[in-house]
Amino acid sequence: MAGSLSPRERTGLLLAAPAVVFMLCFFIVPSLLLLVYSFYRSKAFVPIPDFVLDNYARALTSAGFWLVMWLSVKIGLITAVLSVATSFPVAWYIVYRTRSNTLLYLILASWITSYLVRIYAWRMILGSNGFVNTTLKQLGLITQPLEFILYNPVAVIIALVHIYLPLTLLMLLSALRDVKPDYLDAARDLGAGPVTTLLKVTLPMIYRGLVGSFMFTTVLAASDYVAPQVLGGTSSMTVGLLISNQFRQTGNWPFGAAMAFISFLIFVEIYLIFVLLLRLAGLAPHRRYH
Amino acid sequence: MTSRRTWTHEDIKAAADGNVEHYATVSRRDLMKGGLAAAAAASGAFTMPFIPGAAQAAMAGDVITLTWEGFDNLESTKEWASKNGVKVTNSSMATQDDVQTKLVGGSPVRLDVTSYNQAYNKFYADELKILNALDTAKLPNYNQTDIFAPFYQKERWFWNGTQWGVPFCWGLVALVYNPKMMAKPTSYKDLLKPELKGKIVISDDNTGTWPTFAKVAGVDSYPNVSKDELKKIFENAKLYRAQAKSFAASNGDIVSLMISGEIAACLCCGTDSVASAKRQGGSADYAIPSEGAFMWSDALCIPKSTGNPDGALAFINEAMGATAQAAQAKKTICGTPNSKAVALMDADTKGLFDYANLNEVLKNTPLLGIPPRESKEFATYDEWVQAYEGLKSGI
Repeated sequence: MAGSLSPRERTGLLLAAPAVVFMLCFFIVPSLLLLVYSFYRSKAFVPIPDFVLDNYARALTSAGFWLVMWLSVKIGLITAVLSVATSFPVAWYIVYRTRSNTLLYLILASWITSYLVRIYAWRMILGSNGFVNTTLKQLGLITQPLEFILYNPVAVIIALVHIYLPLTLLMLLSALRDVKPDYLDAARDLGAGPVTTLLKVTLPMIYRGLVGSFMFTTVLAASDYVAPQVLGGTSSMTVGLLISNQFRQTGNWPFGAAMAFISFLIFVEIYLIFVLLLRLAGLAPHRRYH
Repeated sequence: MTSRRTWTHEDIKAAADGNVEHYATVSRRDLMKGGLAAAAAASGAFTMPFIPGAAQAAMAGDVITLTWEGFDNLESTKEWASKNGVKVTNSSMATQDDVQTKLVGGSPVRLDVTSYNQAYNKFYADELKILNALDTAKLPNYNQTDIFAPFYQKERWFWNGTQWGVPFCWGLVALVYNPKMMAKPTSYKDLLKPELKGKIVISDDNTGTWPTFAKVAGVDSYPNVSKDELKKIFENAKLYRAQAKSFAASNGDIVSLMISGEIAACLCCGTDSVASAKRQGGSADYAIPSEGAFMWSDALCIPKSTGNPDGALAFINEAMGATAQAAQAKKTICGTPNSKAVALMDADTKGLFDYANLNEVLKNTPLLGIPPRESKEFATYDEWVQAYEGLKSGI
């Protein structure tokens, strides 16, 4: 079979091989093992080989699981919408209005610090005696600290948007750079206004980047359990934490694995719904432009 | 030049240490073989958790430990380690559950020494079977003369004629508060006052939080509570959840919130955090409410995954010595089980606990266990976890 490949195809395969092998060994195989585990029974940290659906049934009938899942998905979706909506104009500005990357580097600079440092920094900014409250007090705008800006989902979303905005920016930037200004000029020449150009030309052409950035952010933000724990107050339970507890506290790996796969299926559903909505809105092109 | 077929441990160590003369004798082919071996070893490390029965090699002279942050005994055993050429490497656990997570399954992580809260004794040794029995002949510092009677061969560490762990520190879990933000509380119920809404935290550590929830609900039989009592305990706990700002992830988090003035009290917390807050310029104190407080004690133990059992025993023995114990107690603001260490402590560390009446102290505040793993009569550990998750989720 290898003999039928052209040198160009062989080179391509060789270049792709390390990443493919890596993903196969360290993602696909462990995921399949986890899937097998999800049908096992468990007793005191010992998975017992079996084929039962009890773990799935238990998760699907648990009000707690669905409540926590809903909170996680809500946090993920709001974070993704805000991240994409705020990074798109910046990406547009960088691609079409300036040749300088200074703004991009300024936004990416926050990635130089560690994730935990940034999360704790937000606690210092939003806390009762933090930067925001102290400034507002000094300006005489408030007498008591604003309590609603910390230890609730709002604080979690603010921090997660800050963390994932550079990611969405990079993906949208990459997508927009493939939309040559000639296409936009052609649309304008044909009488399309800015909104029509955006809806009929730009967004359909960056469809993949849009879907990618939205879904990456949704999944990563919904699965995050550190930010909700540090900034989320008593509403801090997320599906990631729920799953990790099964592996760490109760030692019920099969149940944790079942919850992980249900979460995976929910994220796939969100992806399908998002794509469907884009198609209904006429923003999915059904073809590759570049 | 002598050509070698494969790299030896000495070759790899020499290369890592930058010993050019040593590894210069290795041919290019050997180097490639070594590279492949290293790549295989690296990929093995990644896949290890998924391959049953995979073993990890041990290097003589190394002792790998996993303990709570600050409870590493590194400073107190530094001189001994240096004198004996032992390299002690420590990592910290965030919860007690980190220990069993690393040690169960077919491919446990190599750990030479770790610690268990007294509640996890039989769970680790008898049920999960992740501990090695300790050879007390090699632990001369853990002896009947030096160790306070409540900590010498008692049921939390010694049963059926076998020593499984050696208690190396102990302390009190009580109501910790900020005197600048509230008056000294006399009952846990004081935390429900309207003015403290959003000003308290609940420690997200089940070894302390669960027994406190039981006490607060008036159930004194923890860890053996009935299923109905469990419901009552968590119904009552909802009052405290509604009052709380958050579930604090660690003691460090509690101290940080207290120093920044975000919270006035923590429902239950190790009293060592009081000293920690004061060290950082904060205001903190602890109160023993009318419902009571309780003791905890952590024990050093040797997991079955150890690669250096003799080194591990020698490390534990050194950590139990009077000098090391005095230094460790000062560092962690905790109690020592070594009576001779008390004489070596400064006045502040010595004054933390009533060492003269230790038997009495422990009689009033016993060392508690964990809920049973399986039981028809009592709520099981899994049921406690489920109820606790429900509380945190707001159900």
